[in-house]
Amino acid sequence: MKDFHGLIFAYYTDPKLRELVSMRTAASLPFCGRYRLIDFSLSAMRNAGIVDVGVIMQRDYQSLLDHLGGGKAWDMARRTGGLRMLPPFGLPEYHRGNYAGTMEALIAVSSYIKSVKAKYFVLMLGDMCANIDLTLPMEQHRKSGAPITAICTDRADAEGFRMTYIPGENGKAKQILIDTVDEKEGVLSLEAYIINKETLLELMETSRKQSLYRFHKDTLDNWLKNGGQMDIYIHHGYTALIRNVDSYYKANMDMLDSEIRHELFPTERPVFTKIREEVSTYYGVDSYSRNSLVADNCIIDGSIENCIIFSGARIAVGAKLKNCIVMSDCVVEANCVLDHCIVDKDVSFSAGTVLNGNERLPIIVPKGSHI
Amino acid sequence: MKKKCIAMLLAGGQGSRLYALTQNVAKPSVPFGGKYRIIDFPLSNCANSGIDTVGVMTQYRPLQLNSYIGSGQPWDLDVNDGGVYILPPYQSAGEKGSWFTGTANAIYQNLAFVENYDPDTVVILSGDHIYKMDYADMVREHVEHDAACTISVLTVTLEEATRFGMMNLGPDGYIKEFEEKPKHPKSTLASMGIYVFDWQKLRKYLIQDEADPNSRHDFGHNIIPAMIADGEKIWPYRFNGYWRDVGTIDSLWEANMDMLSPQLIDLYDPEWPISARSPICPPHQVGAHADINHSIVTEGCEIDGILENSVLSPSVHVGVGAHVKYSVLMPGVVVEAGASVEYAIIGENTVVHAGARVGASPAPGADKCITTIGPSLEIPAGSTVKVGAMISTSEEV
Repeated sequence: MKDFHGLIFAYYTDPKLRELVSMRTAASLPFCGRYRLIDFSLSAMRNAGIVDVGVIMQRDYQSLLDHLGGGKAWDMARRTGGLRMLPPFGLPEYHRGNYAGTMEALIAVSSYIKSVKAKYFVLMLGDMCANIDLTLPMEQHRKSGAPITAICTDRADAEGFRMTYIPGENGKAKQILIDTVDEKEGVLSLEAYIINKETLLELMETSRKQSLYRFHKDTLDNWLKNGGQMDIYIHHGYTALIRNVDSYYKANMDMLDSEIRHELFPTERPVFTKIREEVSTYYGVDSYSRNSLVADNCIIDGSIENCIIFSGARIAVGAKLKNCIVMSDCVVEANCVLDHCIVDKDVSFSAGTVLNGNERLPIIVPKGSHI
Repeated sequence: MKKKCIAMLLAGGQGSRLYALTQNVAKPSVPFGGKYRIIDFPLSNCANSGIDTVGVMTQYRPLQLNSYIGSGQPWDLDVNDGGVYILPPYQSAGEKGSWFTGTANAIYQNLAFVENYDPDTVVILSGDHIYKMDYADMVREHVEHDAACTISVLTVTLEEATRFGMMNLGPDGYIKEFEEKPKHPKSTLASMGIYVFDWQKLRKYLIQDEADPNSRHDFGHNIIPAMIADGEKIWPYRFNGYWRDVGTIDSLWEANMDMLSPQLIDLYDPEWPISARSPICPPHQVGAHADINHSIVTEGCEIDGILENSVLSPSVHVGVGAHVKYSVLMPGVVVEAGASVEYAIIGENTVVHAGARVGASPAPGADKCITTIGPSLEIPAGSTVKVGAMISTSEEV
């Protein structure tokens, strides 16, 4: 009997991600040359032996479905259990808008949750960028007796957080600060939880009766105020929650730092992703490349510096790219100059194009543009 | 389950001329061309040609090959009726069983496997060739010419012809004579060791050959000559693309260098992908001191040194100030700071410690001389490995 079941929230996309999310959810945002953000939560679960996982999605999930396929990449293509896509179902007719909060998203898939036989649920965000060894909080949760364990971080360089937990003297959570980041007084929430199944069902029932759907502001805040037990587990590794263009750009650029990259991609807990193609990257006779991450199947004849290059890029002689993120299958023709750009998939730049953004405001070139 | 065509892939070879690289693995599972192993080429060709049933005959050191092939999923060969099968030698009730004694004997021992599929034609492939080829086209010609056997041939020069099995044609265009490594070649059509057989005919000749105690049980030496002697129709299938046998250190090195020239063999063609089982590492990192020219690099590599004309497999590390020139670095190789590797092939997970020198560029006008280091060895800091050496144990280091 497997005790733990995974649930990943991939329905919410922060509009501050602008053009990057016009065709996709935040969970399927390309990251670090070959990954999608959801790979982190899926891989964390897989590496902890959780292969029964539901992914809650609501809209614009085409690219997410493409990426997940049958779940094979995460060993979740199972005859029994495995990966389950959970688009909305069983919602009342009048409900056509966004989920009003995590609780409503859970209520929308309540029949699935009820059907799960596991004792505990592991809830994670699809747009979280961290490599968590879940076996540790899972073990802690079993032992502590608290019905809820919150996964938090004490890292000061962490990005994109919204919630802070103030621990009491017993180390358990005493108070939650909503929309507040205060790493001095408390620990920052990864918005990842381990929760007993019956507790989750109770919280969903209360939420449904009171029509209060926000997870932190309504449900968890009330839980603590009513004396509910919540344990805290601290994850020490690199963590970023991708909520806006700045945090997306910064988290990608952080990967150029070998120490941080090894923290996020340790050999003992690999991050799995859908495999695309099997051909190396070729560097031409006159190419120049420094301080960059380059995926496979690229042909680099030009110059790159401080760049993240996804697979399939063709960078012609004389092109100069600096501080750019270039997603899959982009073509940069001769003598283009690009600086501080986030170039979405399938973009082509004709010869001599010049685009200069800056660190505060990287230029986003939307998917499929021909410039 | 009836199949029109299945493939049988001979992957039992030891690769003795590559011995430092094949001490623990069969030749077909030697890393090649960055992301691949040699066997990826015939397996991908099968998948791309629409052949979904492949028997892989293994014998020498099969462990790594077996786990590499697995379910055949990377080549889309994990299908319900068919797929990829590992076929080792086996024992039968009342018999002692024996190793495969030759290429023909390997198929003979697997008659029952082939008969499962009752195929019209069988494609016989070798696990040590680098090429892209549409076997379906070869089978089509085979059927069109009503042949008992079709042999894929390559046009070579008369000098080269002395190193190959040569095909002499009759006036009707069918093969009338086969000469192994002739001193005085009569034609320029060399056998590539790729055959299509009418299964019922092949079956008959295999049984006949097995009964002959003087036979070497080899396709080139016994089966083909026997068919020619009986006047069977043997058609030459002319192949014009890139093809290399990688049985020697020099040819393995040269074929790796060819991967840097898409005009020879285009690995970037999405219509004919060569697939491989991939480790899934982060994209490769180019460091602040790196200088990379005319090289291929792949996932998991971290390069902070100078790279020229080289082929790197996944997770290779090259430290600051290290030079790697005209070399082939297999998965997990580490070249530490200040070390130099030139005209060399380095086996999986070997570490070249700081300041060590492995191989050297040939003097102007001199022939190249490849230095080979086997897998999982340590080349001590500051040491020099003799040019042209083949190092396979730590004692030789």
